[in-house]
Amino acid sequence: MYRWFLSMRYLRARKTNLIGIGGIFVGVGALILILSIMTGFLEETRRSVRGSLSDLVIAPRFGASKEDSVPTDPAKILAEVRADPRVEAAAAHLVWYCQVAKEGADADSMIRILSSSQSGNLSAVQIVGIDLPAEFEATEFKASLEREVKYGARVDNAEQPFAVPERYSPSPLEAGVVVGEKLYSNLALRRGDRIKLATIVEDPARSDSFLTPSRTYVVVGTFRSKENEMDMSRIYLDRAEMIDFLSSPIQYSEVLVKLKHETEATSKALKAELGVRLAENRLIFGYINLDNEFDEVKTWREFRGVLLGAIENERVLMGIMLSLVLLVAGFTVFAILSMMVTEKRRDIGILTALGATPRGVLETFLLIAYWDALIGALLGAIFGTWGALKIDSIERWLSKTFGVQIFNRDVYLFDTIPSVVDPVAVALIVLGAFVCALLFAAIPAWNAAKLDPLEALRQE
Amino acid sequence: MIQNTTDRRKTPRDKPVLSARGVRKSYTLGDRTLEILHGVNMDLYRGEMLALTGTSGAGKSTLLHILGLLDRPSEGSVTLDGESAWEMSLTQRALIRNQRIGFVFQFYHLLPELDAVENVMLPAMIHESRGTFRRRRSEHTEHARELLATFGLADRGSHRPGQLSGGERQRVALARALFHDPAILIADEPTGNLDRATGERVLELIFREQERRGLSLLLVTHDERLALRCQRQLVMADGMIEIDTAIKIPD
Repeated sequence: MYRWFLSMRYLRARKTNLIGIGGIFVGVGALILILSIMTGFLEETRRSVRGSLSDLVIAPRFGASKEDSVPTDPAKILAEVRADPRVEAAAAHLVWYCQVAKEGADADSMIRILSSSQSGNLSAVQIVGIDLPAEFEATEFKASLEREVKYGARVDNAEQPFAVPERYSPSPLEAGVVVGEKLYSNLALRRGDRIKLATIVEDPARSDSFLTPSRTYVVVGTFRSKENEMDMSRIYLDRAEMIDFLSSPIQYSEVLVKLKHETEATSKALKAELGVRLAENRLIFGYINLDNEFDEVKTWREFRGVLLGAIENERVLMGIMLSLVLLVAGFTVFAILSMMVTEKRRDIGILTALGATPRGVLETFLLIAYWDALIGALLGAIFGTWGALKIDSIERWLSKTFGVQIFNRDVYLFDTIPSVVDPVAVALIVLGAFVCALLFAAIPAWNAAKLDPLEALRQE
Repeated sequence: MIQNTTDRRKTPRDKPVLSARGVRKSYTLGDRTLEILHGVNMDLYRGEMLALTGTSGAGKSTLLHILGLLDRPSEGSVTLDGESAWEMSLTQRALIRNQRIGFVFQFYHLLPELDAVENVMLPAMIHESRGTFRRRRSEHTEHARELLATFGLADRGSHRPGQLSGGERQRVALARALFHDPAILIADEPTGNLDRATGERVLELIFREQERRGLSLLLVTHDERLALRCQRQLVMADGMIEIDTAIKIPD
């Protein structure tokens, strides 16, 4: 019984133990907090890049010469891809870059913006022409239309997003576009506003000159993909309308493929097979890259592999670095306990004289470390988990209170700080703290047990 | 002053409660071996008061620690009620120190983090499991308070050793030694650190409890006058028992 009683008394009597507890608290808390955020980052990134990319992306190189060229019409490639039993859906995208200006901008004002080095008004956007309803099946586009808005305004009818409601335009000739909600708020747009898209395309008649088409569209609503970059710089419109606007000979840029059962293995296997099949049918150019893979067919992981790999690396590194905090906390426990054993030599002698065994003495000192670990790890787990769950509001509060922006939401892909608390990870971290504290405590506790009680009793 | 009465067996006695036979103790310091005890034979009989005296360096403390089962003799045996202590397990010896032997030290040796009552109950804390102790805590507290009250410390129960005087500390230590009502009380210079009057008060209590409980008292002292108050005296010199004398034969 004295083991529990005395260890608690010693713990209370020696305030230095608070340092050990504090160390374990900080180590456990920081590990849980940071790993939760990193896991959240990873999962959120994975989800959002996947949402916008679908599982496989086929982006053919349209050859310059007629012999090399592959069809610029997506019908055949879509049919070929959809024929595969593993494919759930496929949709074609036409992608181009544009300058966007509000209604009424004429050539002069556009040039003024382009020529001013200080202009903040230049908005280069990516315009994406899509087919409905194929797009709904292959990507998360529909979800991004129906998601609760933060800065934007939802379209009237998510099934027909590009339809211009009559109250905005009585003319059936005007086409609608769906704008990313951040872009919408940056340009101070409202539904029903008209925007002018201007760009440069190759002159189909003379290959050494350009055309600068521009066209006015009605903003019918916004989408929110939760991926900052997309929400800030993408505009969706109907693909046929876009082909008309650009007078483009190329009718699609990429085909997005959604698999029935997506895993890293299935998408890799299908990628290889589709590459061969499409190249044989001359639906893609068949370019082989340095990794000996078809360059025109990529899995979503390959597209964002560098990014995901970087975050994963960062997570592992953070875990290792913060584990060092626990290690240091372990050293602290070791130092404090060693000091206490020296200080309590006499007590150890007395206890032995009164019938304590070396094992009992060992356990008494181990228990001190146990309490250190218990209190520190428990507090750390509570605060770490709480912090991870509330990190977004905590960060906002800190930013507001101290006037320093800690997490710049525009830099990252998300508008909230993501975090995922993994109970298994929390349990492992707490367990790690215990193992660390007890292992470090074992040495001084062992020394205490080996102490000669007589020597301890002789000293005054 | 000391008479050598060789035939102490004139007084009828029980079998010894604690005896040492041929006890030798040596330490190795580097390549030198230092023998402190050169074959000590002695008996402590039931209910007797035995003084162990001798000059410093004679081996008193070493013998005391061996008799208290805190130290292992290099040779020879220590028996308690006929049982050989060093043939027992470590746990059994710990149990004997807890239950059958009470220790009083010169420097009190109380635990500074515990108050007087907790110090007195320490033997119970060491002996009992957490559950048992929790169940019997009020009983133990009661017992500890009674003991303290007997020694005039009724109002000192919740004081820490640091808040007590030397005499008070030694009385707390005596209460602790007697908590499990042991058969043997080993007192190592119990008054060595106290002034005469305070020491006298502590001694009176020790003698009173010895008589009341029929304790076998082993009192280590270098104070001849104190030794004279015991029934029998062992004088140690140079690691041996030189004189075994009955000073005062009870009426």
